[in-house]
Amino acid sequence: MIDIVPLLLTQALLAAVPILLASLGEILTERSGVVNIGLEGIMLLGALMGPLVVDYLHNRAGLHLPDIWWPIVAMLAAALTGALIGLLHGYISAYLAGDQIISGVAINLFAAGAVAYGIQAYWGVAGYKQVPEWAKTDPIWVAVFAFVVAGVMWYILFKSRLGIIIRACGEDPESAFNMGVDVNKVRLLTTVIGATLAALAGAYLSIAYLSVVTKEISAGRGFIALANVVFANWNPALAVAGAFIFGLFDALSYWLQTLNLARYEITRMIPYIATLLIVAGVIGRAKPPKAVGKAFRRE
Amino acid sequence: MRRLTFSLLNTGLALFLAFVLGAIAMWISGYDPLLSYKSMLLTPLSDLTYLFSALAFSAPILLTGLTFAVGLKAGLFNIGAEGQTYMGALGAVAAAYLTRDVSALPLAVFLGVAFAVAWSAIPALLKIWRGVNEVVGTIMMNWVAYWLVIMAVSTIFANPSQPEESVKMPEAARLTPLVAGTDLTLAVPLAYLTAVLIYVFLRYSVWGYRISISGQNPTVAKAYGIRPEQAVLVAFGIGALTAGLAGVLQVAARPPSYSLARNLANVYGLGFDGITAAMLGRGHPIGVFLASVFLGILQEGARHMQIEAGTPFEFIRVIQGLLILFLALQMVRKI
Repeated sequence: MIDIVPLLLTQALLAAVPILLASLGEILTERSGVVNIGLEGIMLLGALMGPLVVDYLHNRAGLHLPDIWWPIVAMLAAALTGALIGLLHGYISAYLAGDQIISGVAINLFAAGAVAYGIQAYWGVAGYKQVPEWAKTDPIWVAVFAFVVAGVMWYILFKSRLGIIIRACGEDPESAFNMGVDVNKVRLLTTVIGATLAALAGAYLSIAYLSVVTKEISAGRGFIALANVVFANWNPALAVAGAFIFGLFDALSYWLQTLNLARYEITRMIPYIATLLIVAGVIGRAKPPKAVGKAFRRE
Repeated sequence: MRRLTFSLLNTGLALFLAFVLGAIAMWISGYDPLLSYKSMLLTPLSDLTYLFSALAFSAPILLTGLTFAVGLKAGLFNIGAEGQTYMGALGAVAAAYLTRDVSALPLAVFLGVAFAVAWSAIPALLKIWRGVNEVVGTIMMNWVAYWLVIMAVSTIFANPSQPEESVKMPEAARLTPLVAGTDLTLAVPLAYLTAVLIYVFLRYSVWGYRISISGQNPTVAKAYGIRPEQAVLVAFGIGALTAGLAGVLQVAARPPSYSLARNLANVYGLGFDGITAAMLGRGHPIGVFLASVFLGILQEGARHMQIEAGTPFEFIRVIQGLLILFLALQMVRKI
């Protein structure tokens, strides 16, 4: 019984990585005043585009690279996809002063369609494609990357001048503007970075963690990341702890499956129920940035 | 009147751009855009059987579209229609399991709607009591519903003679086609009637008024003595009613199977189609109605597109996604 603990903790760590990456991005984005509920969709697109682009370059364009490079190319392809979506969402949210929730919902719906279609149109299979060995990487590298990002982001947000500027855009954009900050530019940039991290979380799922591309590969993780942002009270350091807790429930779910104590479907519900309970439990003390979700317009 | 023209123009532009970008996507992935669009948009209109089938597709989309539209009126982003539709279908299957005669039909409606309302009450109450964002709340409930209903259909409600689906609706309790040989059942007029009722309710009832005031400005609502939390509950409840009904009708009024597929294929994605319908119809019941007929035609057309042009069925979801993106881009200028 006791020897299961290290295994469970490792599993929790691996399950925490995508939630951590996506919630770190979202913390940065929301700290500047933009909310992006399209994380789930961006994750899905990242999970598709990583393997799809390397497959194209390797098998159809005949590009030769040492195998060690392919996962990196996949990550870059996913990052670029995420950045483009972030650019769109950031532009709508900041410069067009559009409804951020509607735009996020649109991203999710678009991604769900595009990924289902993309898998079918590119590989000619219905919604499930194995990632080849040469395109995969050890999940631990991405985990290390995620922790580094957490540290850097914590430092930037709370220990640097840049962080003060970003947080000012989310707390009191009017004052930030009066101090000479280009609020909408900051918001656009943080949204691009946030979406890039969410797409990397997706690529992690397909090329490192699960080794497949499916049309439902993100399985609600984008929304769990949103819950984690609230749990972490918009603090990257706490997001690490939060992601680990959400990851633990994920790991628990798979572990219980192997024990055959309960039906597979019941164990699969665990992460979602846990998310609801955790969010309901912490919400009282969570304090969102004051101007989050509100467009800034110069009077 | 000017606002209406403006809306129509914007929607038309979004449709145009979505189809152009869709054509490019199709061309890149090696399919014939013109042939695909022709069989997607024209084939369903070329034959009465196809047209009726398109209308049959429109009914549940209209009902889930109303869920999102009523939520929007109250200032809510209720993404929960997906899971509530599963729960509605589960109620119908439970009724089919419990009784084997005509009484299964009223029981199905009762159980289905009750399950859906109960399902939506959880995120609604969490929002009111604990301030849990309704998007996160309803999505989590959708996933729990997904696994719960799959489990129920593959265990107690499994069909011993057909492993891929649930127990079937008893023959006496089925809503059979109004025109023999087509998919057009009473579900279609029933769904359209529901939209009319919701329209009247929102427009002329006290609660409709309370919902829209709370949605526009909760502070003003409070000044009028309206409690926004109650409006939230009512909006969630009505949304669950229509989403649950959509699920029930997909089991009780959907030839030829009259059952719930074990992989939930006949209810899967309806909640998200509803969001598209609600946004395309700009949240107005009549608009949502027209949008759902259009999406029904796309659904039916997608089958023909796959056969005639070889373009994957999933392509219509790309079109829907692009459409929403363009609509989101424009909603901007209106506000």
